[in-house]
Amino acid sequence: MILEAREIRKEYKRGGTLLQAVDDVSLELTEGEFVCLVGRSGSGKSTLLNILAGLLSPTSGSVSFEGRNYTEMDDEALSLLRNTRLGYIMQGHSVLPNFTVLQNVILPHVLFKRGGEPAERAAELLEDVGIRHLSSQYPHELSGGELRRVAIARALLSAPSLLIADEPTGDLDDETTADIMDLFAGLAEKGTAVLMVTHDTEAASRSHRILTMKAGRIVKAGL
Amino acid sequence: MKYRPYLSFSDLALCNLQRRPFRTAGLVILVALMSFVLFGGSLITYSLFSGTDALAKRLGADILIVPQGYDNKVEGILLRGEPSTFYMSDEWLSKIAEVDGVRAVSPQLFVASLNADCCAMPIQLIGFEQSTDFVIEPWIKTVLPGSLADEEIVVGGAISGKVGDTLKFFDRDYRIAAKMEKTGTGFDASIFMNIAAAEMAAADYETAGGAYPPPEGSISSVVVMVEDGFTANEVTRQINSDFHYGKSGIVVVPAKTIINNVSGSLRVLVIFIAALAGLLWILAVLVLAVVFSVMLNERKREFGILRSLGATRRRVSSLIFIESGVISAAGGMAGIFLAALLIIPFRNYIRDLVEIPYIQASAAWFAAMAFGCLLISFAVGPLASLFSVKRMNKNDAYTVIREGGL
Ligand SMILES: Nc1ncnc2c1ncn2[C@@H]1O[C@H](COP(=O)(O)OP(=O)(O)OP(=O)(O)O)[C@@H](O)[C@H]1O
Ligand SMILES: [Mg+2]
Repeated sequence: MILEAREIRKEYKRGGTLLQAVDDVSLELTEGEFVCLVGRSGSGKSTLLNILAGLLSPTSGSVSFEGRNYTEMDDEALSLLRNTRLGYIMQGHSVLPNFTVLQNVILPHVLFKRGGEPAERAAELLEDVGIRHLSSQYPHELSGGELRRVAIARALLSAPSLLIADEPTGDLDDETTADIMDLFAGLAEKGTAVLMVTHDTEAASRSHRILTMKAGRIVKAGL
Repeated sequence: MKYRPYLSFSDLALCNLQRRPFRTAGLVILVALMSFVLFGGSLITYSLFSGTDALAKRLGADILIVPQGYDNKVEGILLRGEPSTFYMSDEWLSKIAEVDGVRAVSPQLFVASLNADCCAMPIQLIGFEQSTDFVIEPWIKTVLPGSLADEEIVVGGAISGKVGDTLKFFDRDYRIAAKMEKTGTGFDASIFMNIAAAEMAAADYETAGGAYPPPEGSISSVVVMVEDGFTANEVTRQINSDFHYGKSGIVVVPAKTIINNVSGSLRVLVIFIAALAGLLWILAVLVLAVVFSVMLNERKREFGILRSLGATRRRVSSLIFIESGVISAAGGMAGIFLAALLIIPFRNYIRDLVEIPYIQASAAWFAAMAFGCLLISFAVGPLASLFSVKRMNKNDAYTVIREGGL
């Protein structure tokens, strides 16, 4: 088991009323599993993903990653886990403006020093997502779809055992989307668990399992 | 850093600074402004404070003895160079010299010149005894001839005219034999001559229509240096008891008393200047804190993203502190350098401008203050960021990202 979430709830206060952004969600992910999360805008997908990635603490419930409970980990341990075991592609832009594409991709290595030469691996990943030629460009010179692919390459740098991706193909054309889905499916084949939010049914059809969210709950497995 | 694909952690900070030159420059300028005010302000207030404090020292005498009723006049002469004329018997010189605790005495004879055709300017002429003097001589810039001739004078630092020029008083020409260093006291606006010459001037004064003539063997004051191990107050008490205070016809004025009298009004001014500099500085620090927190607030998304990539709170904080520290250090050095650049060449001008006792800081003090201001400036950026960092660290990474905008 890679990831196990139990009875996750997240409440937000909005304009005086309580909002259940995530409402009693439990789920499990095993090695090599490729799962898509779908649902209408505002149904709580991003909130759930951030909780699963350890970036947001739930109001109640627990998340364990490879058997270790997030609530029992300190900032250092959780950060190290995110840095080495977990790839996260967030919704919206997430490329840092003051670094080149290549520098952005190797950032995880900069934040936690470890052996190995990341530049080579980064170049390979940029090749995989089709933007190697932009390596030394700065983010303001890139298109939305190109930026998204920088974030994808960066999430894969540490060869994570879990990849969490929030609409990773949002800005991409059909052909590039298909390439990225191939990439993800290939990762899953090699044992990486992939959890991905998408509005693209075509893309979702590549996954092993589809979860649908509605008003904070997972209402059904399947579209 | 285009050509360095591999970054170290501190490179992150440098890249952030380098890639946003306007932001960086703006913040550096702001810190520079602050340290400029801090250093310039403390240098000037230091000079003013030590100027008023050391006034006593610079008067050279610990105690002054003048005819009774003229103790308020002596203050004007010594501090502001206000001309006045008064006399007492020169017997006092030897009498005072005998008192316990008196180490040295020297006579002075005051004559006020007139604001008339006969004189170059209305000014205090002071006759002094060169052989016993310990008040005037230390301030003379150039070497004084063994003894001043009757038509030779020493001029105070604020008097225009250079060595070799002549000045006219009571229709006599006097040659400037030496010029004094600026002392920040009334000496700066006084003219010194030997006692005989001053006696002559006093006689001229009468002819020119001045007040009463000085009786034979008159002096205006006795300046006293006290023995080590005695305080000016002790010796003052001793003189008063030896010569029956109130009936002797003299009054004993410790130099400190004169200083304290002026200090009253002067202090207020100096404190006002110091407060102004302090206020300006506090304002600058506040502005800096606001600007830093606005800037960091704008960059929340950036910091949240770093957290999502596995940066601990500590690492993100240290990144911010490195950046603000570099900005602070650069700004601090620039500001202090600029202040020094402005103050050092114009120090004499500033001294004349403030018109109150002003002592320049010694090199050591100058360096110490520069170092202190640098330390404060260096700390100010990280301190200004501390608040934002603390607030940010309370939140989850996702919250930080969302607060930073989508
Ligand atoms: N910080 C917050 N404070 C209050 N409400 C929030 C906050 N963040 C999210 N919400 C609300 O929680 C709900 C779930 O938001 P979430 O971002 O998870 O939706 P989503 O399913 O990812 O939507 P989309 O498909 O548009 O990205 C929304 O109704 C949103 O308005
Ligand atoms: Mg979302």
